[in-house]
Formats: sequence, structure tokens, C-alpha cells
Amino acid sequence: MEVAVIVIFLGALVGIAFEWGHRTKIALLGAGAVVLIGALSEEQAIEAVDWSTLGLLVGMMIIVGLTERTGVFTYLALRVAQLSRGRTVRLIFLLAGVTGLLSAFLDNLTAILLVVPITLLLADLLKISPIPLVLVEVIASNIGGTATLIGDPPNIMIGTARPELSFLDFIVNLAPVAIFTLLVVTTGLALFYRRQLAIDPERAGEVDKLDAAADMREAPYVKRSLAVLLGTIVGFFLHAPLHIEPAVVALVGATVMLLVAADDVENALERVEWATIFFFIGLFVMVGGLEAQGVIDQVAEGFASVTGDSRALEALVILWGAALGSAVVDNIPFTAAMIPVVDTLQDDGFDDAAWWALALGACFGGNATIIAAAANVAASGVLERSGQPISFVRFLAVGLPVTLVSLVIATFYLLIFQL
Amino acid sequence: MSTLHDIPLVEASVPASATFAEAARTLGESKLSGLAVLDGGRVVGLFTDEELLLGISPPYLNDLKHTAFLERELPSLRERAREVAGEPVTKHMRKPTTIELDGSSLHAAERFVHCDEGALPVVDDDDRFVGMLSRTVFAHTLLKRLSET
Repeated sequence: MEVAVIVIFLGALVGIAFEWGHRTKIALLGAGAVVLIGALSEEQAIEAVDWSTLGLLVGMMIIVGLTERTGVFTYLALRVAQLSRGRTVRLIFLLAGVTGLLSAFLDNLTAILLVVPITLLLADLLKISPIPLVLVEVIASNIGGTATLIGDPPNIMIGTARPELSFLDFIVNLAPVAIFTLLVVTTGLALFYRRQLAIDPERAGEVDKLDAAADMREAPYVKRSLAVLLGTIVGFFLHAPLHIEPAVVALVGATVMLLVAADDVENALERVEWATIFFFIGLFVMVGGLEAQGVIDQVAEGFASVTGDSRALEALVILWGAALGSAVVDNIPFTAAMIPVVDTLQDDGFDDAAWWALALGACFGGNATIIAAAANVAASGVLERSGQPISFVRFLAVGLPVTLVSLVIATFYLLIFQL
Repeated sequence: MSTLHDIPLVEASVPASATFAEAARTLGESKLSGLAVLDGGRVVGLFTDEELLLGISPPYLNDLKHTAFLERELPSLRERAREVAGEPVTKHMRKPTTIELDGSSLHAAERFVHCDEGALPVVDDDDRFVGMLSRTVFAHTLLKRLSET
């Protein structure tokens, strides 16, 4: 039975990495197999699902989906392009900054889906290749998403699995290193791409002529939607002192959004990406199978035998191991499997450094390959539809060095500030 | 007998070997919102005015959520129209929804209500293309028939 659940889980990971089918189908197939072979009872399968993660995801999908209609994110992307005044380095920094910021407070996948299509249009206007800009944005989205509990799926899973870690804890412990890493990486990318992205001043004038606020003037419920989004973000900051789970904050925010800024509830609920929700359900059940069969305990024991009693070694192995695992498969299933391992390692007492190491490893590792994070896959899909696909190797040539630099920064950060 | 047998159908189709420009021209001449793409007499795709618009627009149009900020024409539009002209229509067609010639008028009505297309290909028992049925023509003919009986 133990071997069977390992085979099912690894088979699902390989299937997702090599796109044998839609990742949701593969995860649900794996979950179904785990229950059908009896590795997990039906009751255990339901208990294995982290409903808080799903609540947080659903709530944010509704809030962000309805706010997106207002055109405010399009406005932000266009304004930063105009503020760059045709200067390549400034454009790269501003696009990285706005993508990182949106990723931190919405989520990185949403940020990419909002920013990349506008970037394709800007590149078209400026007559430059969009691929370097999109690469900068993908990298910024994965680093920016590291900064908060809601920014990247691995952080959402960690934050909901460990209620001791509040939204503010994530910001205090991860935002500084994420901002520093973003600055270092963006500087490198700007130096690397500045000649390739040289902008003709005449073309830059075309961007200045865009009426950035036009869509906001036409959209319904702009003020209400923005007020609810901001109120929800404030709610996240206050969830710990108010003893409310982040999932409750998101769901209350979504409910208020439905009440004040949605005429048609059915239409509003279409913003929920059910494929993603069922993907998470499938993953949780498969990981539940690994836990029930004692596989997680064995992995944790093996892990402890390598790191011994060294807290620093443990955190660094988690950091680099999570990055490697995320790069090879996908940081969401990898984190889902790692959370119970880190939990088991902490039998002697709660140590938040291990959780920050996991968050940094999984999120930064998401930049290594084109399949490592959902945002990368989404950006690659948009580029492909636009007739300018990016190959695995071209992404790797930029993503891998960026990941290595990010991990070196994270290593020093953990050693100096957390261990 | 089904209502469809008496409704005028339009022979609006192109072979699968046609180019985007040829399909666009035939579509314009047909005055319909869509035409059938045929391979050996069978419908393999549908080329509608939506495919025409998407074809001549930047390929990222479908991913853009807002465009009101664009007050002037994109300079690349003209280039795009030139580029797409020689591409095969099969690259731009959508999966077809067909209506059976011997089916009931209510079935045809249901297809039109649940599909985006303003015209659908009608096929015979052997699945061979008979002609394009316009939603407008169908709706008015059906109303007229029902009023007469």
C-alpha cells in the first residue's frame, strides 16, 4: 500500500510536469486512486482537504475577478509604461515593480494574466520584443508573491496550514528579502536586456498617447470594488489580533463584494477557477494518502538523519530542496507534500525559520523552469497564443541563474536574520 | 417533414485548402456570419466573422480584458492583415456545430439558442454538407410557418 501511494503521487507529479493531461484531471485521478485502493478512507480523504486554503483561494478569486472589471490594474500597467518615458531600464524596473506589487496583494498568477497581455500590446506599440519584458514580469511575480501570505500558492498553503503564522508575520519575515531580491534580480535583468530592448523615442510617444484611465471611466462599481479590495487587505493585516483566519477575511470580503458590486451573482461566481480548486483538492487527498501510509514520517526521519540537530542545516536543506523540487515539478504539489514533512520535523517545538525556508525555496524555485510555477505556465500560454512562444531552454537560461542568485540571497538572509 | 427542407440554405463554404483571404472573401460575398470549411464534402470547421476579426487583430487581443485606452489605431494592424491573408483557413476555423437536415425545427432552434454562431451548417444523413442556415432566416421562416398553420 505504501509503495502504491508513492507510485501514484510520483506518477501524478511526472504527469503534471510533462503535461500528460490537464493537471486537475491528473490530481483528481491520483486522489481517486488513493481512495479506491483503500490507502485513505472516504472520511480521511475529506479531512485531508485543507478547506481554509480553498476558502482563501475562492474568496480572493471573487474579489480580484470583480475588481479586475474596473480596469484599475490595466491603468496601473499603462501608467508605469508612460512613466518610463521610453527609457528601457526604467520600463523594466517599473514593470517588475508593479507586477511584484500586484502579485503580493492579489496573487502572482492573477498578476501575470493581467499584466502580460498589456505588455504584449506595449511591446507592439514600442516595436520591441515582448519576451524579455514578459520574462522580467514572470520573475517579478514569483518574487513579489513571496512577500505575503496570499501572494503565491505555496505561501497560501503554508499560511493556512500553520495558523501561528499571521499575514503580518509573512510580511515582516519575507517582504524585506523579497524586495531586496527583486531589486538585485531586476538590476541584473535590466543590464542584460537594455540593448535588446532599446526604445525608439518616436514609438515611446505612442505609449504616452494612450488614455490609461479610459477603461476605469467606463467600468461599473469602480469605487466600491476598490474599497472592498483595500478593506480585505486591511482585514488580512488585522486577522491575527482579531483572531480571524485569513480564509474568513477573504470570504467575508468576497461576500461584501457580491453584495455591493455584483448585479449578477451567477456571473460573478464564474470568476472562481474551479479547475484550480479541484486541483488543490486532488493534491490534498494524495498527500493525505502519503501521510496515512506513514510515507511522510519516513521522509521526515530521513531528512532529520541528514540534518541532525542543526537548525541551520535543516532550514538550508529545506530551502534548497524546496527550490530544486519546485523547479523539477511544480511548486504547488511539492509544497503540499513538504508541509506535513516540515510539520513532522517540528515535533520538538514550533520553529518559524523552517517555514520561511520552505516559502522562500518553493516561491523562488518557481523561477527556475517554465513548469515550476503556475504563473510561468500561464505567461507561456499567453505568449504562445500571441505567436511568440518561449522555449523551455530559453526560459531556463534566464530562470536558473535568477533562481540561484535568489537562493544565495535567501541563504544569507536565513543565516543572518532567522537562525 | 422537417421545416428545414423548405428553408432556403446558402451554399457558403470553402475547401480546407483555402487561404484566410479566400475564406474572408467568400464570407463577405455570402452575407452570412459564418461559412463551412469542407473536406471531401464533410464539414471540418466553421469560419465566422469572429474568426475573421481575431485573424486580422493582434493575436493577443483575446487575452486583453480592456482596450478603451487605445484611442488611435495600432500601426501593426495593417501588417497583421497582410500576414494572415496567405495562412490556411484551417488555422483559423473553429470546431463546427451542425444541424441535421431531417431534424426537428425545435432541435434547430435549440442549437441556435445555445451556439454563438449566426449561421450553422446543415448536413444530410451521410453527414455531407447541404448548405448554411442563417439564424435570422430560420427564425422568421419558422414564425411564418407557425402563424399559417
